[in-house]
Amino acid sequence: MNSSSTLYKKKGPLVVFLVPAFLFLVLYLYYPFVQNVINSFSDITGLGAPAQGLNDPWWANYATLFTDPKLRTALGNTVILTVCTVVFQVGVALILALLVDSIRVGAQLFRTLYFFPIVISATALGLMFNLIFLYNGGMLNQLFSNLGIIEKNIDWKDTSHFMVTMFTPVMWQYVGFYFVILVTGLNNIPQDLYEAAALDGCVGLSKVRYVTLPLLRNVLCTCLVLAVTGALKVFDLPWVMFGAGMPQDQGWLTGTYMYDQTFNRGNVDYGSAIAMLIVVLGVVLSNVANRVFKPRNDL
Amino acid sequence: MKKNRLFALLLAAIMLLSLLAGCAGNPGGSDPTKDPGPGTKDTPKPAAPVELNVVTSYGGDDGNRKSYENAVKGYEDATGNRVQDASGTSNEEWKAKVLTDFETGTEPDVLFFFTSADAEPIIQAGKVVDVATIRAEYPDYASNMRDSMLAVASDGKNYAIPSSGFWENMFVNTKVLSDCGVAVPGPDYTWDQFLADCQTIKDKGYTPIACSLFEVPHYWFEFCIMNNGTLSEQLDIPADAGDAVGQKWAAGLNDIKDLYEKGYFPVNTLTATDAETVQLFGDGEAAFLIDGSWKVNYFVDNHGETLGDYVISYVPAKGERKASEAIGGISMGYFITKKAWDDPAKREAAVQFVKHMTSDTVMSTFVTTEVTALKNGASPAGLNPLQQAAADANAYITGVIGPVQDAVSPECKAELFANVQRVVTGDMTAEEAVAAAIALN
Amino acid sequence: MGKKITPAKACTYVVLSVWALTTLYPFVWVILNSFREKGLIRKDSFSLPLPGSGFTMDNYAKAMDRFDFANAYLNSLIVSVSVTVVVVILAGLAAYGLVRYRFKLRGVCYSLIMAGMMFPVFSTIIPVFRMEAAWGIASSGNRWLSLLAVILPQIAGNLCFATIVLMGFIESVPIELEESAYVDGCHVFQVYFHIIMPAVKSSFATVAIFSFLWSYNDLFTQNFFLRVPKEKTITLLLNEISSQAGVDYGLMAASVVLIVIPVLAVYVMLQKHIIKGLTAGAVKG
Repeated sequence: MNSSSTLYKKKGPLVVFLVPAFLFLVLYLYYPFVQNVINSFSDITGLGAPAQGLNDPWWANYATLFTDPKLRTALGNTVILTVCTVVFQVGVALILALLVDSIRVGAQLFRTLYFFPIVISATALGLMFNLIFLYNGGMLNQLFSNLGIIEKNIDWKDTSHFMVTMFTPVMWQYVGFYFVILVTGLNNIPQDLYEAAALDGCVGLSKVRYVTLPLLRNVLCTCLVLAVTGALKVFDLPWVMFGAGMPQDQGWLTGTYMYDQTFNRGNVDYGSAIAMLIVVLGVVLSNVANRVFKPRNDL
Repeated sequence: MKKNRLFALLLAAIMLLSLLAGCAGNPGGSDPTKDPGPGTKDTPKPAAPVELNVVTSYGGDDGNRKSYENAVKGYEDATGNRVQDASGTSNEEWKAKVLTDFETGTEPDVLFFFTSADAEPIIQAGKVVDVATIRAEYPDYASNMRDSMLAVASDGKNYAIPSSGFWENMFVNTKVLSDCGVAVPGPDYTWDQFLADCQTIKDKGYTPIACSLFEVPHYWFEFCIMNNGTLSEQLDIPADAGDAVGQKWAAGLNDIKDLYEKGYFPVNTLTATDAETVQLFGDGEAAFLIDGSWKVNYFVDNHGETLGDYVISYVPAKGERKASEAIGGISMGYFITKKAWDDPAKREAAVQFVKHMTSDTVMSTFVTTEVTALKNGASPAGLNPLQQAAADANAYITGVIGPVQDAVSPECKAELFANVQRVVTGDMTAEEAVAAAIALN
Repeated sequence: MGKKITPAKACTYVVLSVWALTTLYPFVWVILNSFREKGLIRKDSFSLPLPGSGFTMDNYAKAMDRFDFANAYLNSLIVSVSVTVVVVILAGLAAYGLVRYRFKLRGVCYSLIMAGMMFPVFSTIIPVFRMEAAWGIASSGNRWLSLLAVILPQIAGNLCFATIVLMGFIESVPIELEESAYVDGCHVFQVYFHIIMPAVKSSFATVAIFSFLWSYNDLFTQNFFLRVPKEKTITLLLNEISSQAGVDYGLMAASVVLIVIPVLAVYVMLQKHIIKGLTAGAVKG
């Protein structure tokens, strides 16, 4: 797609397009974040408290990033979560989107229903999942013991089960999100292309492979980027269900660890350093994703 | 598409109905303000109504919210001032908001806040007025309070006028105990007897102790420390893990570890929330629960039918401590900010507000069995059975002291309690945990 | 095409229905439990609360028993609609500019937006608060200013996501149409409004839905800025009363239902824009 056409040679209007948005971003995101960066070098004892000079040495927090075992756990868990998110959330969403695209009766209904989990706030979902996984009388334990599968209740949040318990709700919740984006992307593919392909005998699975997927490339890339960044930031649902590192400091994710350090521990400067790490990782990974998915990289 | 329209209309209609229902149900508050609390007799109406900004922790779903709102209305009716109330529920986020407000100059005029180490930032920044200065202008300020019980800040001055305090003691589920053939503990309960009782209870299939070591090991920590020392030494803070106080703390942690290894805590104590373990107690599946005075109303609200099963008893003691010694005190109070003090109109209004909220009559609507600093004590009306049980137990209490965890920095406290789960599983020794915490003090 | 149901089609419906059940069930569960007496929820949360055996309207009565209930809905709507409108407009412009124009800082801008999406809201909230306090809009006591204090950061927060998503969609629009419009004498703004926007209308709808939703559910920012009851949004109000004690599940369920209804209404209304065929006519050779 040759974008160096004559329409876009004059760069004047570009200012109008970009400035308003970037004004907001600078004021409300970049400037505070620069504050955040400064904070990561300073010594701050409590939230809302002023900095008391620089850390000693000034890069102390960043050195801790390398040695902190809890952060390492958090990163490890987040990596696993990212992979799961990409494979399951986006993967399932893609399959569902393609399936819904192929039917007419009931498509509207399915589109509405798949959206529900996103609408319900994470707190409410956390509540529901807590009741499902509850040790004493939760749905799963009740069901399993009634069916005779288990004798003693399973502690779904202990060290041997927590991964599944933590990841399943998080992944389930956002399938609908990628689903809606992919459906929109599918809608943008003009019908004429399908008809032309059909004339060439390309239908069904090969239609998907040779027409749909390539045209979805940009949208899929967007989904990938969103999935990666989402996993790095995810906070609400894991926090409500697991809190501070449950079980026994093995359940940390980058998002929850950052929150805990900043708010509960008052270790604001270290929290800022973790935030920096999250941002850097996010930018790097999304650039990688972009390069992989859009080799004719005009970015 | 028609179906969609219909559906959307239906949803909109439901919303509209709920809006109307919401409006209809609120003719200015659905709790009848039968007696909006006494006005302060000695306040002449000021020239023009003042708008007072107030922040307290009696917002959200605090148990005392209704009493607070009634009291505020009483003040407004008596003085003609208006109160802009921005109260919240007391948690870490609320604390952060309050401190940030002071930082940015948007603090309220009257603040009801912690009087412990949490208040140090604003005291040291000179943003609140001390009681002595207030008394220079208003000699009868807080005259109904015992001065000895006012919180003392690090600079030796008093800044806050206390409201109702708290106590921490042992709740027991008498139904569980009787089913196991265990007697309800009395003020001479020993640790060894407690261990034996726990074993009996455990053998019978119940959970002896309801406690979430993950979320709230706080209360057991306090009492276990006291068990390894004395009441008067409770507030000593170790300088490092090796000194006498540090060793006391480590011994306390090891006591908890002992209980854990014997299996007296719930099976999922490391992954359960406080709400879940309290539920165990409420549902009659656990016998012992250490908690505080604030929980009394919780049981009334959520376990009303089985209220008769619970009584307040005593935490088992060993060493030099007696079981009749408990934790308690007053940890929050009303501050007047310098911002309000410097504004002559607000100064008067703020002082009147605090006087009203801490008057004997208003306090009696807040207090049931808690500690107060009132010279004449509070006279609450109509205690429910559990409150009565608490009052009965309190009659035998021989000594009360504040929790040492309120005397250390919040970082130290957070680190200490986060490490409890590691100590009980053997991942960390008690000494290491104490050392790590003290380093942050 | 034919009315016979192929095995493939049947399979499709089965798969779709299974997933639909998993998404529908929690919602039904919440609604059922909002009508259940609170004591029964922990013991028996997965059965039907019939009148006489656990049915009650108490939870709703309790949830609505607050001074500023209707007001809270209004506040939520004001905040979320404002955020959505501004985000859609600004993100559309920015996405278009970034996709079509070639300029030196393009990669940098893209990375900046990407980075902006990564900032966790808790790391920016306090500097933002200080800034807005200095301007006099935060903690001002004035309801409209406080709402504004919430709207502005939320706009920024959603802008990054919206821009990224719209960039993905706009990129897929073939450029030939714009070029032919240019040849016909249109300048770039006309191209944007008359060609691009209609072509990606469904994408705008998508972005609008999510912006509305996230602004609506964003407890953290709202909690920090909205203090006085008459400023509070519905999510804040209901979250306050239901989440602290941790065990009044009936009240929580009722709160969830009350919060969710407007959002679903918005989604259903906007959803009809995300249907096939809207764009078919727009791209003719």
